[in-house]
Amino acid sequence: MKLKKVLAISLASVMALSFAACGNAKTGAPAATTDGSAADGAEATGGESKGADVAEVLGDIPSYTQLDLSQYGDTAGSIKFLHHKTDRAEDGTMDKLVAEFNKEFPNIKVEMEAVTDYAQDSLLRLSTGDWGDVMFIPAVDKVDLEQYFMPLDSLDNLSKELNFVDTWEYNGLCYGIPYMANAQGVLYNKAVFEKAGINELPKTPTEYLEDLKIIKEKTDAIPLYTNYAAGWTMGAWDAYIGNVSNGDDTFMQQKFVHTAEPFKDPGDDTGIYNLYRILYDAVAQGLVEDDYTTTDWESSKGMLNRGEIATMVLGSWAYAQMQEAGDKPEDIGYMPFPMTVGGTQYVSAGGDYNYCINVNSSDENKLASLIFVKWMVEKSNWCYNEGGYTVVKNGKNPDMYAAFDGCTVLSDAPSKPGEETYLNDMNAESELSFNAGGNDKVQRIVEAAATGSEKLDDIFADWTKKWNESQEELGISVDY
Amino acid sequence: MNASVNAVKTSNKRTFREWLSSRDGQKVLVISAFLIIPMILLMVFTYIPFAEMVKFSFYNMKYIGARKFVGFKNYAKVFSRSDCFGALKLSLYYMGGSVVQLSLALYLATILSFKVKGGDLFKGFMFFPFLINGIAIGFIFKFFYTRGFVFDTVLQWCGFELNNLPYWLKDRSINNISLVGTSVWRYFGQNMVLFIGAIMSVDSELYEAAMLDGANKFQQFKYIIMPSIKTIFVLNVILSISGSLSAFEPPFVITDGANGTGTYFVVMHEIAHTQQKVGLASAMAVVLLLIIFTVTILQKLFFKYVFKDGTQ
Repeated sequence: MKLKKVLAISLASVMALSFAACGNAKTGAPAATTDGSAADGAEATGGESKGADVAEVLGDIPSYTQLDLSQYGDTAGSIKFLHHKTDRAEDGTMDKLVAEFNKEFPNIKVEMEAVTDYAQDSLLRLSTGDWGDVMFIPAVDKVDLEQYFMPLDSLDNLSKELNFVDTWEYNGLCYGIPYMANAQGVLYNKAVFEKAGINELPKTPTEYLEDLKIIKEKTDAIPLYTNYAAGWTMGAWDAYIGNVSNGDDTFMQQKFVHTAEPFKDPGDDTGIYNLYRILYDAVAQGLVEDDYTTTDWESSKGMLNRGEIATMVLGSWAYAQMQEAGDKPEDIGYMPFPMTVGGTQYVSAGGDYNYCINVNSSDENKLASLIFVKWMVEKSNWCYNEGGYTVVKNGKNPDMYAAFDGCTVLSDAPSKPGEETYLNDMNAESELSFNAGGNDKVQRIVEAAATGSEKLDDIFADWTKKWNESQEELGISVDY
Repeated sequence: MNASVNAVKTSNKRTFREWLSSRDGQKVLVISAFLIIPMILLMVFTYIPFAEMVKFSFYNMKYIGARKFVGFKNYAKVFSRSDCFGALKLSLYYMGGSVVQLSLALYLATILSFKVKGGDLFKGFMFFPFLINGIAIGFIFKFFYTRGFVFDTVLQWCGFELNNLPYWLKDRSINNISLVGTSVWRYFGQNMVLFIGAIMSVDSELYEAAMLDGANKFQQFKYIIMPSIKTIFVLNVILSISGSLSAFEPPFVITDGANGTGTYFVVMHEIAHTQQKVGLASAMAVVLLLIIFTVTILQKLFFKYVFKDGTQ
């Protein structure tokens, strides 16, 4: 008897579930057809635009540029924002931002989650699909973008109003907008430079190494702090490849994967070779910290602030943190990377993490998320407060970029159509992971220079071998 | 005919019901009712993910995006790459460490199982490191080994000159030993407590009898204690050897696997999460599992042989 009852109940529940599933499918179906007809109409009118049309994909939701924030004050919704700014979540900045946001949009509830190991964890969260409505785009392939994220607008529309939006462009649609942009330079302590008698900032790797030597002789400061132990601080050296090292904005995303010998010494103090030569020579000549294996990232901030460290090679995002870390914020300076290509010093600027919106969220949440993203980008002032290079066209830049006058600012041109995944594929196959967490390859340079186990040329020969093997394995043509 | 079939059917049904309400039936019912939850948990969180991982090891895949079946290519790579098996050499350091760890634990356990002043206090102090989170231990030792910090200061009190001391984590000839030191520090207390537990179960009359026969402490250890704790001893050895093959926390937290300290697990983590070669990393995991199986079986055979010899 009891068994029968159990059977009956489980059968009934299974049937109920399957009915529910049917119901979902039925309600889903007409929505799809209306989408389809809207798409037909759009094609008829604007059939010539490149790739997919944004209005066609978005349906009833306005695109980023169409959205007029002042008209949506009473929009309601409850969204979740997944981000990596754990430090800003702890010091209350994020809560303040949301409080500001809620003054204008009181009915949109924003829940936030800060993830410490964002680069890895966010990918895992993404693969489960259960992550919320707004997040920062992790390292996904461009072809997969539409599967996870809602397009925000077409590249044509968006690039009229914002900088650096082509990073996550696919088929003419943009899937992400950077929350701030970074310029890639070198952090230095002005007081230490003054004490060492260096009045002119170095412009080439050779000049830079000479200055480091002078600092070592004349002051007690550590000339170049590698921050070896933290790992990612070493991977940060990759950011100067392309725009800075070659003065070419098509290098990183387009030419690099097709280059036969990207690590060859061009002989004029430029290129990837001389970028890493700075690190190798500085370590070999004892111009870095004594015991690099026990460096501590958090305490290095205060050391730079107090003048115990002269220079650190990091993006501009670190500037504000260095200023906050001690009593002498005025001593922190930021200079362009010491490399001159054909008489010009280039600065690489590009978006940091990009906001994106879950394509599987409900329509109300998509709209609320879009409002939130637009407000964060244009109204929150967050980018300026973080010392970021402006994302909004002609926006105000913080004073720290004064030394960049006279330099040419470049941002990486996007990869060629059809080659979007090449760099990721090459990075994974060769395991060198440029700008993608390949910290150990840079750490290897430090180890080799310190112990004398390998010459710089040996390391580059090994990299070139891996790079060429990967090109062969993946069938990528060698054109340069 | 019909009637008889019906009769058989009903009698069958009845017997099933009867069987259910019988003692045997109730036994099966109760056992399966109690087992079903742990079995489901075991399946969902251990065996199904494991089967998935074995499946992954035959694919060229990332966490997201398309997957491509490649057969045994990943396994071939595990054996041909220098960094995968090279990392296993580091396990020798950890195995060496586990020998030190077990002898230290056994020695202290034997002393503490006799009457010692403040014995419980010592036991507590030595067991304490095991209670600390592995990540926290990593951070403690990162500062402990920093040039001129805790360890160097203590050694300077003992009369060492700072200039003569090595860089504990920078010097490649010694940095793995430093890391093994942290894991010995953490785990010997736990081994010791297990040993003490086993030694306590020895009948104290045996010691009295041995003393009357004129056996000294070492002879008591050899002929009374050792044979009675051999099960626990073998267990501890097996656990620490398979533990040293899969050492992860100290190198991951303290050095991030850099500077020649990347153990098999750290390399696997790097390949799976930074390089996103999930298939290859899964193959590495399966290979490690097979290695651990082999080593464990060899150990079992070894001890079977050794203890047979020792006790007879």
